[in-house]
Amino acid sequence: MSLFALLFGGALVSPLIKNMALLKLFALLILLWSGYALSQGAGVGLVFFEQSSYVRLFEAVVLIVSAALILHLDKEDHGTITQLLFIAAASMALLESTTLLSFVITFEAVSIISFVLVSNIKDATQAEGAIKMFFAGALASGIILFGLGLFAVSGHDFNASALSVDDTFGMIALFIILIGIFYKLTIFPMHTWAADTYAQVSHTNAAILSAIVKTVVALATFKIFMPFLAQLGEMPIYLLAALAVITMTLGNILALYQKSIARILAYSSIAHAGYMLIPFAAVASTYAPTGLLYIAVAYIFMQSAVFLVLEILRKELEIKTLDDLKGLGQKNPLYALLFTVQLFSLAGIPLLAGFIAKAVAFYAGVDAGLWPLIMIALLNSALSVGYYAWIVKHIYFDEAQTKGVITGRFTALLGQLILLGGTIYFGVIAADIFGVLS
Amino acid sequence: MFYLTLIFGPLFLAVVVYALFRNFEGVVKYIALALFAKMLAASIELYNALPAEGYLKLGSFLHVEAFNYVLTLQVDMLSVVMLILSSLLLILVTLSSWTMKNQAAYFSLLIMFSGAIFGVFMSTNLIWFFIFWELTLVPMFFLVGIWGAEQRVYAAVKFFLYTHVASMLILLAFYLLYAQTGFLDVTLIKEAAIATPALVWWLLFLGFAVKLPIFPFHTWLPDAHVQAPAPISVLLAGVLLKMGAYGMIRFVIELMPESSREYAIYMLILGLITAFFAGFLAIYQTHIKKMVAYSSISHMGLVMIAIATVSYEGLSAALYEMIGHAFIISPLFLIAGYLHHKTGSWQMGDMGGIVQRAPYVSAIFVLAGMAALGLPGTMGFIGEITILISAIKVNGAWIAVIALASLISAGYLIWTFRRVIYGEMSPVVASADFKMHKIEFSALVLFAGLIVLFGLYPQPIFDAANQAFAHFGGVQ
Repeated sequence: MSLFALLFGGALVSPLIKNMALLKLFALLILLWSGYALSQGAGVGLVFFEQSSYVRLFEAVVLIVSAALILHLDKEDHGTITQLLFIAAASMALLESTTLLSFVITFEAVSIISFVLVSNIKDATQAEGAIKMFFAGALASGIILFGLGLFAVSGHDFNASALSVDDTFGMIALFIILIGIFYKLTIFPMHTWAADTYAQVSHTNAAILSAIVKTVVALATFKIFMPFLAQLGEMPIYLLAALAVITMTLGNILALYQKSIARILAYSSIAHAGYMLIPFAAVASTYAPTGLLYIAVAYIFMQSAVFLVLEILRKELEIKTLDDLKGLGQKNPLYALLFTVQLFSLAGIPLLAGFIAKAVAFYAGVDAGLWPLIMIALLNSALSVGYYAWIVKHIYFDEAQTKGVITGRFTALLGQLILLGGTIYFGVIAADIFGVLS
Repeated sequence: MFYLTLIFGPLFLAVVVYALFRNFEGVVKYIALALFAKMLAASIELYNALPAEGYLKLGSFLHVEAFNYVLTLQVDMLSVVMLILSSLLLILVTLSSWTMKNQAAYFSLLIMFSGAIFGVFMSTNLIWFFIFWELTLVPMFFLVGIWGAEQRVYAAVKFFLYTHVASMLILLAFYLLYAQTGFLDVTLIKEAAIATPALVWWLLFLGFAVKLPIFPFHTWLPDAHVQAPAPISVLLAGVLLKMGAYGMIRFVIELMPESSREYAIYMLILGLITAFFAGFLAIYQTHIKKMVAYSSISHMGLVMIAIATVSYEGLSAALYEMIGHAFIISPLFLIAGYLHHKTGSWQMGDMGGIVQRAPYVSAIFVLAGMAALGLPGTMGFIGEITILISAIKVNGAWIAVIALASLISAGYLIWTFRRVIYGEMSPVVASADFKMHKIEFSALVLFAGLIVLFGLYPQPIFDAANQAFAHFGGVQ
């Protein structure tokens, strides 16, 4: 059974089911079936798509995180389930695509579904976030198509499974495509839409956009562009390194100044895009693919978890700003702990996935001889502890204000525990991720 | 496998204990005490099992061949001494926290800390060492931030950030070592004996110097120590600062003796500045706990001077002073916290005549204070005299100026006795109730006993030091 057909078919059938509980059950069964098919070696199974152990692990992770997201959803998110299944299907195809053409087509498919996703708007604020994303995304699509056109004109074969370019014209064309993709990855200076969108669309959608879509795009791009990046000379590599440094520094510094928790998480997501760009610049190192895979796996778990906890906090306790968080640790120790562990993972505290992911990705940079870049990245990571610890300070150190207790649905909690399990498992046991490349 | 559970067991236990006993707070301290006693017993077992030279392998776990990322547990005498010291201090800290508020969370964090600290001293893989090194920050952050004094939030966040930035330097140095040698295990890197670049030495030195702490990177310490609850100040001074000294000996001196000798003069100068600068600041303080905190920094400056000799004698003296510092500064912090708790004031000017109200506690304060200024018969004297002798042998007679640091400490400590313990009884003291829980008092008595015991009979520590440093190549 083709993984893509399974998820895509599930998504097509899902609008027919009106009962939310049944729909959730259906979606979970589809994901479970896909997981089973994946374990039996199923992939997308079309021409131009090919599975490797590298993407297989990440496909499994995407399925697990999607299941956790579905467990989290409740009645009002009826449409989100369908869109999530579509995104999962397109993600599988994007991850497995082996040629530039199939990559661009599936990339656009993911983009279009995410435009539909953010259009679940309830008020003007969410509309603003959605529109910003749409315009940025449309612009990015234009740039990518322009690059693709140039690439075709220059006489290269975009059906070739290895991107090898030996002329300047082709290189410029590919760089233009890469810049279009950087819109989705929120790399400076293509990041400006992201903070508003992540902070203003509903937190569940922000979790899907900033966790699933971003990591899938990063990994697929790296996979397709690796031969091209490896050909680059010193200057383009330094340019990528500079973009990485500027993105992470900008994200971290702006996050320090935010009062709204969603905006802090949004800027921290931009900073993480900077960390994800390090393996791109360090492509000469044999650790670069592992580093990116690790950072993607860690990030998808922790980033979706923090946005989902925030969604629960907002829904039940109206928590939006840092001040609203005060005393959460005393009134709701369980959710406070879940939030804190995932924030510490984002900050890179050891024995959580976030630490070892950064440790490997940053080592790739040192291995490629870019140690000044890694020095800046490490200091950035330390800087980011400033705002993560500041959130934790509000949760635990401040006096409690009168606040209710979260009743919380069991399924949402189950979803959180799945994500927590991922963060801790990949923080202690690294063998799985290193195993896929050896 | 048993030793792996000594590290991960407490991390797991901390969560379980907190989840199960949140509503039965009284039980948690007994669980903590039993665990720490077990850890002390295990450390002593290791002490007896050690071979005459080199490391005792305890196993390696969680292999990831591709990155040399293996949790290798092995100990030599240096790490075993640190393990014994840490578990002993954890027991004493538990005793002196007997009446702490919100015990379930407090002791869970202590249990978590114990696992992390055992990981620091037992793992020789650089990345795993770093993992546990960073992990110790998390319980400390909460312990200072929740149970601390008025400025606790500022102190906790500053402590976390400051030491975290320093750790990043250490991680970069580890990366560079790995890129150069292809090993992540400290024993293998040492065997490779590759000339390391100056950059690695400086990164490691600065990283550990912040923890030690050495002037001008000491500014996190007065805040953290003063704002932390008294038992946590003990843990900070007794265990966390020792992590810095341990890292300095293990990764700077043992790994790079050549570079260390080359840059010894910088270590010496910074050590001297620390000892004197902190001593002068201690004189200036009117806040009793700040006085103790600066006195603590000043003594760590002496440890730095001893390490800077890069000689067997100097390192032995440093190890002795590290242990002595833990036992001497701890009762001073505990009593400073106790006096604040009873009188409601931090100012020494508000106190006076304590000896008439709390004679036994005053006696221990005076004993520990005298030990800090180097009274013969206490650990302070042996520590300072051995540091002086080893430093003179290496650097020449002029280094005898460090005896002046002792003189300065005599200045502020004796003046403190005059202001706080003796002198006229202040109205605050007269109206305060100086009752102390018996178990908390017993912790103080144990500290006093240790100061005198190892002051009169220092041989076991020097035997351990000889064994610890005998296999250090490249040290004179």
